[in-house]
Amino acid sequence: MNLDEKLLHLDDESLICQIQKGSHEAFGTLVDRHSNRFYRIAYRLVFSKDDAEDIVQEAFLKLWDRPNLWDPGKRAKFTTWFYRVVINLCLDLRKKKKLINLPEDIEFPDENPGPDVLFDVHQKQAVLERFIHELPERQQLAVNLCFYEGLSNNEAAQIIGVKVKALQSLVMRAKTTLKHNVKQYLGGGSR
Amino acid sequence: MTTNFEQFKEKLLMYGADVRKWPKDIRLSGLKTLDRFPELQKLVADEERFEGVLKTRKYEEPSRDLADRIVAAALPKKKKAQRKLGMFFSEVLREFSLSRRAFAAVSVSLIFSLIIGFTIGFSNPSGNASAEQYQTSLEDFLNYEGDVL
Repeated sequence: MNLDEKLLHLDDESLICQIQKGSHEAFGTLVDRHSNRFYRIAYRLVFSKDDAEDIVQEAFLKLWDRPNLWDPGKRAKFTTWFYRVVINLCLDLRKKKKLINLPEDIEFPDENPGPDVLFDVHQKQAVLERFIHELPERQQLAVNLCFYEGLSNNEAAQIIGVKVKALQSLVMRAKTTLKHNVKQYLGGGSR
Repeated sequence: MTTNFEQFKEKLLMYGADVRKWPKDIRLSGLKTLDRFPELQKLVADEERFEGVLKTRKYEEPSRDLADRIVAAALPKKKKAQRKLGMFFSEVLREFSLSRRAFAAVSVSLIFSLIIGFTIGFSNPSGNASAEQYQTSLEDFLNYEGDVL
């Protein structure tokens, strides 16, 4: 079994220990394993492929430069900790840009969308994206982590930094608001 | 532990329309409640439709080479950070490394140069001159009474 194969069998925390010793191969294995997963959450938050890729790269390079930032003594899973790193970078970018610019083809219709609009997939996606972006920040995070990423409530709560009960409340409020807005829109109501 | 109608509605929002995927500790009670209240079936179907809408959300796949790019970007950084004097010299030597034959030729020519240099140096008669001969006496210089222009 060569080095790369050995690294593939190591868990994330062991790989970080190797990275802390300067192993570039271990870093490569970790990036291969998780870059797509962290890209997904970044994309959901910044709504831009380029920005999401830049953020994931920046986060991993930070880890490479300062691998001791992850402290195994705190017993946090690597992915939980790294989700926080990526999310913080996304929120920083959003603050810098003030508002994430939705693509031009994603415009919310003014009033009473007709049947053509209702059946337009892009338009539906646009509306849904707008509804999600209009949610308060923590509700957005809760929906993205629990629904789109499929994380457990416990892990999502750790990432956002709230108790599980609070996380559940965030998910419920977010979904209730979204459901209300989607129903109103699909029912042909105006906002 | 049993789940009542209102609790079921909450759990439906929290854990989704697929009751079989709810956390183990509430799954069974959830399924029992669903059997007990047929009107909940409509709520579950409604939730399924809503989740179907949420799943239509736009998503762009990342570039295929994203991971490779990140790994490549990390490499020069580490090299730079670890650069030491020894590494610098070894890199310079590696840069000017010669093949074995060329190395032998350079070595032989250097040895010949040294031999020739030493031979010329030791055969120079001025090399035997004593340093004292070159000393200038200040007194002799001051008392010099030779031709004065």
